[in-house]
Amino acid sequence: MKKVTTRSFAALILAALIVAGMGIYLFRLARDGGDWASFYANDSVYSGGVINRGAVTDRNGVLLAFSGESAFGYAESADVRRACLHAVGDMKGNIGTGALSAFRSKLIGYSILTGTTGEGGTVKLSIDADLNVAAYNALNGRRGAVLVYNYETGEILCMTSSRSYDPNVGFDADDSDYEGVYINRAISASFVPGSVFKLVTLAAAIENIPDLFEQTFYCGGSLEVDGQRIKCSGTHGTLTVEQALAHSCNCAFAQIAQQLGGDTIAAYAEKYGLTSTHDLNGIETAAGSVESGENSADTAWEGIGQYNDLVVPYSLLRLMGAIANDGVVTEPSILAGKSNGSERIMEAETARTLSELMSYNVEYNYGAGNYPGLSMHAKTGTAEFGDGTSHAWFAGFITNSDAPLAFVVLVEHGGGGYAVASPIANTVLQKAVFG
Amino acid sequence: MDITEFLFGGSAALLANLARYVVPLLAVLIVVRCVRSMLRERYEPETWAYLYFPGEVMVPLRHWECIVGRQKSADAYIEHPSLEKLHACLIRSADGGWTVYNLGKGVTQVNGRIAAAGGLPIADADVLTLGDVPARFVDLTEEERASLLKYRHMPGRNVRPAGTLLLLTAMQILLTLEQLAYNPRATVTVAVAFAGLCLLQWLYFIVLRASGQRGFEVELLGFFLTTIGLSVAASSVPGAILKQLVFLLAGLALFLFLGIWMRDLRRMKSLRLPALIAALAFLALNLVLAEVTNGAQNWVEIAGFRFQPSEFVKILYIYAGAATLDRLFVNRNLFVFIGFSAACVGALALMSDFGTALVFFVAFLVISFMRSGSFATVFLAVTAAVLGVMLVLTVKPYIVERFATWGHVWDDVYNKGYQQARAMSAAASGGFFGQGAGNGWFEEVVAADTDMVFAMICEELGLIPGLCCVASILVLAGFVVKNASAGRSSYFVIAAAAAVTMMMTQLALNVFGTMDILPFTGVTFPFVSRGGSSLISCWALLAFIKGSDIRARASFAVKRPEKFSGGAGVEDELPPEDAEGEAEGGVL
Repeated sequence: MKKVTTRSFAALILAALIVAGMGIYLFRLARDGGDWASFYANDSVYSGGVINRGAVTDRNGVLLAFSGESAFGYAESADVRRACLHAVGDMKGNIGTGALSAFRSKLIGYSILTGTTGEGGTVKLSIDADLNVAAYNALNGRRGAVLVYNYETGEILCMTSSRSYDPNVGFDADDSDYEGVYINRAISASFVPGSVFKLVTLAAAIENIPDLFEQTFYCGGSLEVDGQRIKCSGTHGTLTVEQALAHSCNCAFAQIAQQLGGDTIAAYAEKYGLTSTHDLNGIETAAGSVESGENSADTAWEGIGQYNDLVVPYSLLRLMGAIANDGVVTEPSILAGKSNGSERIMEAETARTLSELMSYNVEYNYGAGNYPGLSMHAKTGTAEFGDGTSHAWFAGFITNSDAPLAFVVLVEHGGGGYAVASPIANTVLQKAVFG
Repeated sequence: MDITEFLFGGSAALLANLARYVVPLLAVLIVVRCVRSMLRERYEPETWAYLYFPGEVMVPLRHWECIVGRQKSADAYIEHPSLEKLHACLIRSADGGWTVYNLGKGVTQVNGRIAAAGGLPIADADVLTLGDVPARFVDLTEEERASLLKYRHMPGRNVRPAGTLLLLTAMQILLTLEQLAYNPRATVTVAVAFAGLCLLQWLYFIVLRASGQRGFEVELLGFFLTTIGLSVAASSVPGAILKQLVFLLAGLALFLFLGIWMRDLRRMKSLRLPALIAALAFLALNLVLAEVTNGAQNWVEIAGFRFQPSEFVKILYIYAGAATLDRLFVNRNLFVFIGFSAACVGALALMSDFGTALVFFVAFLVISFMRSGSFATVFLAVTAAVLGVMLVLTVKPYIVERFATWGHVWDDVYNKGYQQARAMSAAASGGFFGQGAGNGWFEEVVAADTDMVFAMICEELGLIPGLCCVASILVLAGFVVKNASAGRSSYFVIAAAAAVTMMMTQLALNVFGTMDILPFTGVTFPFVSRGGSSLISCWALLAFIKGSDIRARASFAVKRPEKFSGGAGVEDELPPEDAEGEAEGGVL
């Protein structure tokens, strides 16, 4: 009998397994319950496929979207509706990276304790609706994106993507002009970076070419590499590396790229987070790509941001934030007052050198007078296409003590970075700093 | 809707909302009270007879079934070369008489007569010779018997069952209120059903209490789970809810019958073979008549009455599978059992009812382990099962498809993960306190009230009652193991362990299958899932669990012998009820 008695513990093994299983369930519920509850089939929070509660506001409390049992709507102003469309998203969930989709569990007021039995929640975004409008209007109907964030707190103040549409009106689906309109170009698409990528090549050079600042580079207007002709924007003659960056000299950077090798450049792009996805408050951003080619011509193109280089504006924004912040990137956040932590991605020395050179760009070439009141550090980019058009880029940061802001402006097929993107950046930053 | 408004006017919604928070609280209280009553109390070791070995070495016999042998785990351990490891077995019957069975190749004699496997009766002062070792058998004296009675533990002192029943009644009233307020399809029928359940449980309690019973924890947990199940049925099939009540009545009747039947172990044992044959017949009938339902051929319809034979086979399986000590160590018996088990599991697998097949298999593992005590047996069985499963999967590769969604439910929410994604979503929206009984949407999903019922409980009643349901079954397991320490017959211990194992396996497959922690097999949650066969079978299994309870006046399944054979006159084995049992007073 003693044996049988002892062996009855076999039943307790099963009981222990069940307890462990319940532990797994409770862990998953605590981790993913919000996602489960915001599943579209949850009739307790969806009416007709639309969340029936909650609101989204900007950082100043401006209502951007709201939803109730019987009705839902967006911001009052049509300009705000268009400029904030991609940050806010749409009720039908077409814009998957928008707040209405990404923060559903907050909108439905989910908590593990009350489930969805409570009131809906308000999602307060970090963006400033007015700044978004300024940026959107500055893009003036051209495709592109503008991102501005505080590299000390991480809050994204401006995130707009063009083309957009008024969610109260919708758009003509047959109009090819609206193709890809659901995509937030700021975080979900990658583009040829052109010369803004020279900052990555330069960072690699600073750390890998000991006599970089003693070297000079000759630019005769173009450079023959492996039988390919790399054209430059001008004929710059003999240049120091500072001058090479300020003039964005392709010939000089093609030579630097040769010295580094394609793999080193790709490794730095990876190190700086340009080729990976990022987690923006749970929103997964797109990844870029930088790969080294077979011959030295490929390497030269790679080093000047052409070849197969693709960069997501958001990833570039992080890099700008890191350079501004002595190499430590404060992870951006789209939610007001929410910190996402920080991470060192660059040596402090390298960051400071890049920062000085980007400031030199402005003084020496872009003209500080173009950015009144802003202590501007930046780099232009004009990413060329075979068809003669080019993406206009302008990326950088300002070090005004009351406005530590990093920014990225992209205008697709917009022309030159300096001519097209730089004025947009100035417009938006003037508004951000001086109101 | 109308009734509550009539009764409570505009405050119906308010009351229902309040009830939403009170029901989880009551659920916790009910389970906690049962746990305290069942597990808190210490059992005094009982002594039923003595063996005196040469040199007046006394060995007490602490169970009704005892092994004597040269093995440390034997109840009476004697180190002598002439003894087998498991030499003999002493069994006390309910009437107080003892029998000796020889187990191994050794020789066992009573007063010089050789005991065979068939057994020899042994009485006070008889000489029991084990191998070359003589021992004197000494039965209890009258004084010892009296003192045994005095210290026997009687339930119901720490926690009064009537109080728990009152809490349960309150919960039923609140659930009715919630159903009427929240569930647009709920009519007066729902109120009638809850009233019926309430009436039934009180009737049960009063009748058994009047007949002297004191322990009700097992049934209270059964009624608690049945109440949750009734709310589930009220949400999903409010029109047909009275059927659940009829099933409960049938289950309760079977519970009582089986319990009373178990009082006489000899009578019980005599029907083990017929039970085995009946189980196989049921399965064969099922295979022949089966109608394909929900992908598994586990339903049979006879004269308009649909039932799941496998549910009743569970009862028969345990009935036939458990064994008393004298038969436990005979290999032939174990082989018959293994063959029987293989037939059951195989038949269920043929019906593609893999969930139930697994329930049987786990019960088989527990029974065979308890019977043989060897991990080798269990290991062999598992190996054989794994090989069998692999063979089946090679022959029928499409079966793998059924489990392909496991762990990937959210990747396929439109098709294979359809139900489970909704289950998790619904369960999460309930929070700790639920949306309210009758206030869920998940009930519309196929199998929500049966194979996915855990999600429905969590959605409508909340995570707390959901966990209480799980805890109820686990508590029963703890109770069975605790009872085993003072268990009298291995038959009851094995049967109870097997029954609770079946319930736990079902629970695990139901909860974890629904929540994508295990592959989804479609198994009911004991007592809670809607369905007649399942509810009836759960109550019957509960009788086996009840049968392991050996506290005084606790289990109607344990006979209350009024007389001892050879004893002097009439002797109540039970302590007088008024002694200290009524210390707390109380009418009920």
